[in-house]
Amino acid sequence: MKNLHVVGQSVERPDAYDKVTGGKGYPINVRLPGMLHGKMLRSPYAHARIVAIDASRAEKLPGVKAVLLPRDVPQLKFCPVYFVPVQAPSMVQDFDVMNGDIVRYVGQPVAAVAATSVEIAEAALDLIDVEYEPLAAVFDPEAAMQEGAPQLHADAPRNIAKNPSFEFGDIEKGFAEADHVFEGVYQTQRAHTCYMEPRVCVVDMDRQDNITIHVTTQHIFGTREKLAFALGIPESKVKVVKAPYIGGGFGGKLELTAMEPVAALLSKKTGRPVRIEQTRQEDFITTTRNPIKVYLKTGVKKDGTFTARYAKSVLDCGAHATHGSEVIMVHGAFGVFFSYHAPHQKWEGYTVYTNNMIGGGYRGYGAPQGSFAVESQIDEICAKLGLDPIETRLKNSRKQGEPHPFNPAFTLGSYGLADCLKQGAEKIGWAAARSSPKDAGAKKRGIGLAIHPVWVSGCMGFPDIYEHSGAIIKINRDGTADLATAAMDIGSGQITTLCQIAAEELGLPAGAVRMSSQADTDNVPFDAPTHASRVTYSAGNAVKAAAAAAKKRLFEVAATLMEASPDDLEVSAGRVSVKGAPGRSVSVAEVAQRAESPFVQMTAEGPKPTTMEEKGTIIGLASLSPKSNPPPCAAQFVEVEVDTETGEVKVLRMVYAHDIGRTINPKAAEGQVEGGFQQGMGYALMENIQFDPETGSCLTSDFLDYKLPTAMEMPRQMDSIFIESDEPTGPFGAKSLGECCVITPAPAIANAIYDAIGVRFTTLPITPERILAGLGKL
Amino acid sequence: MALQNLKDFHRPGAVEEVLALLSENDEALVLAGGTFIRGLEARGLLNGLETLVDIRRLGLDTIRVDADGIEAGATATLAKLQRVVAAQNAAWLGGLADALDCPPLQIRNTATLGGCLAASCPFFDIPTALVALDTEITIRGSDGERRLPLPELFFGLFANALEPGELITGLSIPHAAGHSAGAFGKLGAHANVLAIVNVAVQLTVDGGLCSAACVALGGGVADTVVRSPAAEAILTGSKLDPAALAAAGEAVAGDIQPLSDHQASAEYRRAVAKVMTRRTLERAVARLA
Amino acid sequence: MKQMISLEVNGEAHELAVEKNATLLRVLRDQLGLNGPKRGCDSGGCGCCTVHVDGQAVYSCMCYALSYDGASITTAEGLAVDGELHPLQTSFIEAGAVQCGYCTCGMMMAAKQLLDECPRPDEEQIRQGISGNLCRCTGYAKIVEAVKMASER
Repeated sequence: MKNLHVVGQSVERPDAYDKVTGGKGYPINVRLPGMLHGKMLRSPYAHARIVAIDASRAEKLPGVKAVLLPRDVPQLKFCPVYFVPVQAPSMVQDFDVMNGDIVRYVGQPVAAVAATSVEIAEAALDLIDVEYEPLAAVFDPEAAMQEGAPQLHADAPRNIAKNPSFEFGDIEKGFAEADHVFEGVYQTQRAHTCYMEPRVCVVDMDRQDNITIHVTTQHIFGTREKLAFALGIPESKVKVVKAPYIGGGFGGKLELTAMEPVAALLSKKTGRPVRIEQTRQEDFITTTRNPIKVYLKTGVKKDGTFTARYAKSVLDCGAHATHGSEVIMVHGAFGVFFSYHAPHQKWEGYTVYTNNMIGGGYRGYGAPQGSFAVESQIDEICAKLGLDPIETRLKNSRKQGEPHPFNPAFTLGSYGLADCLKQGAEKIGWAAARSSPKDAGAKKRGIGLAIHPVWVSGCMGFPDIYEHSGAIIKINRDGTADLATAAMDIGSGQITTLCQIAAEELGLPAGAVRMSSQADTDNVPFDAPTHASRVTYSAGNAVKAAAAAAKKRLFEVAATLMEASPDDLEVSAGRVSVKGAPGRSVSVAEVAQRAESPFVQMTAEGPKPTTMEEKGTIIGLASLSPKSNPPPCAAQFVEVEVDTETGEVKVLRMVYAHDIGRTINPKAAEGQVEGGFQQGMGYALMENIQFDPETGSCLTSDFLDYKLPTAMEMPRQMDSIFIESDEPTGPFGAKSLGECCVITPAPAIANAIYDAIGVRFTTLPITPERILAGLGKL
Repeated sequence: MALQNLKDFHRPGAVEEVLALLSENDEALVLAGGTFIRGLEARGLLNGLETLVDIRRLGLDTIRVDADGIEAGATATLAKLQRVVAAQNAAWLGGLADALDCPPLQIRNTATLGGCLAASCPFFDIPTALVALDTEITIRGSDGERRLPLPELFFGLFANALEPGELITGLSIPHAAGHSAGAFGKLGAHANVLAIVNVAVQLTVDGGLCSAACVALGGGVADTVVRSPAAEAILTGSKLDPAALAAAGEAVAGDIQPLSDHQASAEYRRAVAKVMTRRTLERAVARLA
Repeated sequence: MKQMISLEVNGEAHELAVEKNATLLRVLRDQLGLNGPKRGCDSGGCGCCTVHVDGQAVYSCMCYALSYDGASITTAEGLAVDGELHPLQTSFIEAGAVQCGYCTCGMMMAAKQLLDECPRPDEEQIRQGISGNLCRCTGYAKIVEAVKMASER
C-alpha cells in the first residue's frame, strides 16, 4: 500500500473545538430577527374523517400572526424520501403535508399557527376546534392485510403498499434436497434513532416564493427538491443552507415532514421568518425504524450447507409508505438474501399500511430486522446439528473475488470476512469461552456471535437512488485549502475524513484543509445524502478527484516557477518538489501566491510582467459517481451475563471486527463502532416505541419511558478491530463503515443469551420480562 | 409544553405567607425543586395551572443530625441529604444511601425531599427508602402543625393525604435503635428510569435474632409504597438465615397488588419483587456483620 | 407580565425580565443567546441542557427561571478561563469524545461536578457521574476516557 501521511491518522476533529466551547453551528441555534414560532395541531385519533375545522378563536388570540389550515396547503401527493426523485416510480407517492379530509395516525398535523412566542402558539392550538368522525383503525399489519380490514388508502387493496419478491432456482427442489429444514418467525419492534438535536427549521419565504431554509437534514438537496415540490414552486427558488453540523441523524432526518412546508407557508403568510422546533414527544412520533416480521425457512445439508431459503417479510410502514417502500427492498436483499449462498431462494416482501406512526430511515435500513432473523436462525441450525457457528457461516458465505450478489458487474474486490471472524474470535477467546462450563449461580454467562456478510458503500447501482457527489477545493495563499461540499456531517466525522482525504491528495499537512462553513444548495454541487454508509467512499472519491484537479493546476503553476515539467513534480508536507531532487522545492503557499499575484509586478528595475498562464486561483472541481459499491463486512462477538431471577441482561464484553478497507481515521472509526453498538444493544434489550393498543397514542414519548443505554449499561470492554484491506475503487483504499456496526448486535446478543440459558428469543427487545417468561418463571 | 395559563408565580419568604396563598387558592401548586412539576408540564398535564408557590425561600433546606436521628427541611435537596448520609457512614442508613445513589446528579441537585414525597409517585426511589426508616413528616396548615408517619401520606397513585392548604415542611428520620442496618435495591437500575420494583429493608438484631424488621416496596407493586407485614413477621425473631430471607421474599407477594403498564406486567413485578426483597435483605444482613 | 430577576452567567451580571413560565434553559438560550445549554428533550431525560447553578449541575430545562433569582450560572461557554480551555474540553477533543457534539456541553458540565468533588474518579464513578446524560453517537467509551484524561491533568 502507498505510503500515506494524513490518511490513517487519528487526526483531531476540526469541529471539536467549537463543540466543546458551546457549539454554534447547529440549526437549533439559528435565530433570525423578527422570527415567529410555529406549532402544529396534531390529530388525537388514529383514523378519522375531518368534518370541520374552526380556527376563529385561535386567530383572535393576541400574538397569533397566522393560522394555516389544510385548504392553505397544496394538496399534492409525493414521496418525501430525500435520496430518490420526488416521483420515483419505485416508491409510493402517498404522502401529503396536511390532508384536509382524513387522518390516519395519532399525531398527523391538521392545522398550524405562527405566533410571537412558542407559548402563545401552543395556547392557540388549544383554541382550534376540529370535529372528527372516528373511523375503525387497524394497528397490526397482518390484520390490515385481511379482507374487510379498515382500508387506509383507496389504491392499496388489503393495505399492501408494495409487494416485491425475488426468486431464483427452484425453491421446492431446494427443500427436497435438504437433510433438515428449519423454520422460525422473528419479530422486530419500533425503535427511534434518538438523535439528540430535535428536528427544527427556520424558514424565510417571501411573496415571490423565494425560500431560505435552515433545517436539521441529512441532505440539503433532498430538502430542496421535496420542499419545492410540496409547495409547487421551482427548485431554484429554494435555498437550503448547509448547517456546519447536525446533532445526530442516524437516518432519522432523511425525509421531508410537514414541518418544513408548514413553516414555509406560515412565513409566506406573515412575511416573517418562522421557526418550528419539534418537541421530543413530536420527534418520537415523526419517524421510526419499521418493525418487520420475518418468516424464515432454511433447508440444510447434514454438513451445514444451505440448499434453499425462503422468507416472507411483513413490514409495518404505518400511515404512509415513505421509506417503507425502499426499506423492504434493502431488507430483502441486504438483510436476508445476500448474506449467504443458497442455490434455491425465494423472498416475498409486504409493505403494509396501518394506523401507526410513519416509518422512516434508521441506520441499517432494513438490515437489522433481517439480520436478527438470519443470524438467529443460523445459530439455531448450528445448535441443533452440532455444527461450529464460525465454520458454518464461512461455509455458506461469499469469498473475495466473487461477483457482487446485487450487481454482477461489481466484484467483491476486497472482502475480509474470514479475517474478521478469525481475529474477532481470537480477541474474545471464543474457543475457550464456548467450551467452559456454565456458572452454577443465578447469573449465567454466555457468548455469541453474528456477522454481517454484505453491506453497501452507498447506493451505486440501486434503481431510482441518487448516487453522486461533488466537491470544490481552493488553495489559499497561506498554503492551506478550503473544501466545499454538500455532504453533511451529522456527527460521524465527515468533515474530518473528507478533509483528511483532500490533504492526503494535495500533499498538505493534516489540518491544512478546512471544510467551508458556508455552503448552500445555490453554491455547491449536488451530493446524495449522508446515508447508506456512503460519504467516506462516494464523497471521498469526489473530494479526492477535486483535490487531484487542484493539484494538477498547482503543478502547472509550480512548473513555471521552478522551470520544470509539471509531470516531474510531487507534493508532500506542503512543499512541491522535483521528483528525485528534493532540494528543488517551493512551498504550496509560494505557488498559490504566485498564481494570485498581480500580473505586472513592480521591481527595483521597474514594472515587470509575470507569466500569463500561471494566473488564476488554484481550484479543483469534481462531480461524479463512484465506480462501484464495495461491501464492508463485519463479525461481532459479545459476552453477556443473564440474571435468571430477574431476567436482566448485562453485556460484559464486545469485540467487533470490520473490513472497511483502508481506515481513514482510526479513532473516528472506533467511535462509529462503539456508538453503533450502543444503538444495536438498545435495540436488542430495551428500546421500543409503544402505543396504547386501543387509541394508538404513544406511551413512550420521553426518555423516562423510552429507555436507551446510558454509560452504566454499556459493556466496560469494547474492542474494535479493523481488517486493513485495500479497496481498489475507494479513496486511498477506503470502503465504508456507518451502518455495519449497528446491524449485528441484536442477533449476537440473542445468540449469547441462548448460550447462557438455552432459551431462544425471537422477538425484540429481549426485555427482562421476556427472559423470565422464556425461562418459564412467569 | 409550557404552563400556558400561569398567571402568578409567588416567591414568599415565610411559611405563613405560603399558607395564606394556599388557603386563598386551592388550585395553586407548591413548587420546590420543580422536577416533578416540570415532568407533568412536559406531558401537557398542567396546561390549566394558574398559580405556583415557590417555597424555596422559606429557609426549609436545613438538615440537622443528632443522637435522635436526622431532621430535614422540606426543601433540602436529595444531594444535600446524600452528603449528610455519606458523612454518617452508618449501617443503619445503608438503604437511604443506596437509594440516594439512584437518581442522576442533576436530579439529586434539584429535587427536594418534600417534593419527592408530596408527588406520591410510587415509582420514585427515595420514598421507599424513607418508609423503611419509619420516617415521619411534619405538615403545616392553617390549624397548626401535625406529624404523620410516612406511609399514611401516600393516599393513592399521585394522590397524597394533605388537606387543602397544607404544606409539608420537613421530615424526621429516627435513629434506628440497637444494631441496625438497611439496604435498598432497584430493578430497572437504569440511571434515569423509574423503578419497575424497588425494595428498602431495615433490620435490627439483638442477641443473634432479628428484633425488628421493616420491608417496604415501591415501583408499581401497588398504587403507593407499601410495607409487607407478612415478610416482617417472618423476619422478626428469626436468625436472618438464608431460609428466613427466602421465605420473607416469597411472603411479599401477598402484600402487594402490582400494576401492569408499558414497563412491566403485574406478573413480572410480583415475581421480581420476591427476588429483589430477598437480595436486598441479603445486603442488609451483610451490613449487619 | 414578566418579572425581573438577576443572574450571574459565566461571571457576567444580567438583569432580565422573564416570563413566569420560562425555564432557565429558555432564558439562557433565547434571552442570553447562549448555545452551550441545548434542548434535547425538555423533560429532564437527556442532559443536553446541563449547567451549573452555584457550582451544582442541574438540568436547566427542569428549572423555572424565577426560582433562580440571584443565582450564579456556569455554562460550557464559561468553562475556559482567559481563553485557556478547561482540561475537560481539551480531553474531550483529544480523546475523540465529540461526535455530533450535541450532548458534549451538558456532558462536560456533569463531569465537571464529578471532578470538582472527586478529583481522581475510577471508571465506575465516571460512568455513574455521567449517567444522567445521554449520548447517541459514541457509546460513551471515549467520553469516559476523556473524563479520565481530564482527571489526570
